[in-house]
Amino acid sequence: MNRRAFVALVRKDLVLELRGSEVVLAMVTFVVASFVLFRFGLGGGRTAGGTRAATGLLWVAIVFTAMLALARTFAREREHAIWDGLLAAPVDRALIWLARSCSTFVFLVAVQVVALPAFWLFFLQDGPAPDYGVLIAAALLADIGIAALGSLVAGLASAGRAREVLLPVLFLPFAIPLVLGAVSATTGTISPQTSGLHTLERLGYLALYDTVFVLFGWGLFEFVVED
Amino acid sequence: MNTTAAARLDRATCAALVAAVLMPVALGLIFFYVPNDADQGFSQRIFYFHVPIAMTTYALFAWGALNAARYLWTGDMTLDLRSYVPMHLGVIFGTLTLVTGSFWAKVSWGTWWYWGSTELNTFLIIFLFYCAYFMLRFSVDPGEKRARYSAVYALLGVGLIPVSVLAVHLGQDVIHPITFTDHGANMDGSMLFTFLMALAAMLSLAVAMYLVELRGKRLDEQVTRLRRLAEGTR
Amino acid sequence: MPSLETAVLCDGLVRRFGERAALAGVDLHVAEGEFVLVTGPNGAGKTTLLRVLATVLRPSEGAVSVRGHELPRAADRARPGIGYVAHGPLTYPGLTARENLELYAALYGVSADQIGPALDRVGLDDRGRDPVSEFSRGMSQRLALARACLHGPSLLLLDEPTAGLDADGRELLREVLAEPGRTVIVSTHEPAWFEGLATSEMPIRAGRVAA
Repeated sequence: MNRRAFVALVRKDLVLELRGSEVVLAMVTFVVASFVLFRFGLGGGRTAGGTRAATGLLWVAIVFTAMLALARTFAREREHAIWDGLLAAPVDRALIWLARSCSTFVFLVAVQVVALPAFWLFFLQDGPAPDYGVLIAAALLADIGIAALGSLVAGLASAGRAREVLLPVLFLPFAIPLVLGAVSATTGTISPQTSGLHTLERLGYLALYDTVFVLFGWGLFEFVVED
Repeated sequence: MNTTAAARLDRATCAALVAAVLMPVALGLIFFYVPNDADQGFSQRIFYFHVPIAMTTYALFAWGALNAARYLWTGDMTLDLRSYVPMHLGVIFGTLTLVTGSFWAKVSWGTWWYWGSTELNTFLIIFLFYCAYFMLRFSVDPGEKRARYSAVYALLGVGLIPVSVLAVHLGQDVIHPITFTDHGANMDGSMLFTFLMALAAMLSLAVAMYLVELRGKRLDEQVTRLRRLAEGTR
Repeated sequence: MPSLETAVLCDGLVRRFGERAALAGVDLHVAEGEFVLVTGPNGAGKTTLLRVLATVLRPSEGAVSVRGHELPRAADRARPGIGYVAHGPLTYPGLTARENLELYAALYGVSADQIGPALDRVGLDDRGRDPVSEFSRGMSQRLALARACLHGPSLLLLDEPTAGLDADGRELLREVLAEPGRTVIVSTHEPAWFEGLATSEMPIRAGRVAA
């Protein structure tokens, strides 16, 4: 693998985001606003359904927030017609995908650094809380899957008309099993009777999900980006 | 060209004839031959529709995904149609699966959908994927790019199936904490025979529809090509 | 089997976008060291041809080989020797000139100490740390030229490089194009300007080479 090219591509995404901040700030705003919406939507006082329902909603918020990042994924290259420059270069197309997935992963984690404490503040103060270690582990694993598959799907969506609508439509069927796994892993830890094995199985499932779609992304991206 | 067209004509007609024979036979077996289910009575027979239709949908999907992979490997445009048509039929059969599945849930568990069924819920996710496939197909202009993107997405769906089955299975405590015992597949001889006949009938119907639709779409393409030639553009 | 002296060979090259054929059967032979002008009206297919040769687009039909490598099968082997100047500058506006070149240096495997001389060559050495979004059209074109030549390509493809260039920029372009040891294919609306440099002209009309 051309490590120098990979590092250069990731660094480019991070530098551009630090300077221009198109994505991360918007995502933070969006996710916190979602929490407020959920809090009000579920009714004031004690959260209806308790921390269990709230934890489920957390994952919904994470997935929808991730859509914002994915929607902008290749927007820069598209808007400034830079693709030709990348494609003419002797760099493996899968490497372009890998670099993009890594920078997306970094953005998702950056947002969750704010989102998870905010979530705790809004929802976990009254009632039994899920295991925070499991929550963080599940978030990291979910981020890998979202970044990997999302970078591939974002490429598919950018080709057609109505791409802003198309991306969520294409991505969400894949988000469903991911959310199921993450919700099961984290809400399971709310009840003290849940065994460690139960949690481990679900975290293992998330790792399996990641592996499957990392392999698919690696193998299929060249068919998406080459014209 | 003439002989292959004639041969294709024959295949589609043959398949249609086979389906035309198997379907009434299967229907007859389902309604008149098989005995009533001990627990659920007459309405349990929906099972003989629902499961074969579901299995046919998966078979169509597998065939579409296989041709998608072959298309990406060879770049042969005829494979694009042979991938798209099964996916298209899969939506039709998939809708039927969901409808019959709803009836089956009503019969077996008393509600119009049963969240405790791994099979039903996995299918729901797959069906959403099919719809997304169509959104993608309609949003890209016809040509090599549309074929390529459709193929990539169809292959992603292959990854989605095992991942969904596992997720729904593991997520049972979340979706439906109170589980009823599923009705087991303890089918006696006559039930098994009826089931297999129903499956064969559904599959033959799918094959017939596939060949007919494929032929129709190929003719469509030929007309377009001739029109293009007539207009002087290549 | 094309000889080593053939830089570019096209045989019945067709490129479609959906139903429309942008290139409808182009036959082309460019020997090494030649300087070919591709002329023709807008929409004739000049940009499409250059993009196919730059390995950015795949041929729909026909045979194409660049520097002896068949496209698209051996495209990755052809790429290191191709420099492509497109309509747009192919640079990230949010990055500085130097950072853009650093990225491309990494992608092409060029040592980082080549960047300073490259900027120098196009007269941008004092603007290296300015963001590209602040560049004028002329400066962007210079940067594009630096980017395309950074890895010392043996084949240069330029899509209307004179558009938007001021007098200084044009002089620089002429200097760069006059450098020996390269095959050059330029699409242009001003063939007269290239007099003294060009060895042949190839007019294109409606996706085909005009007689």
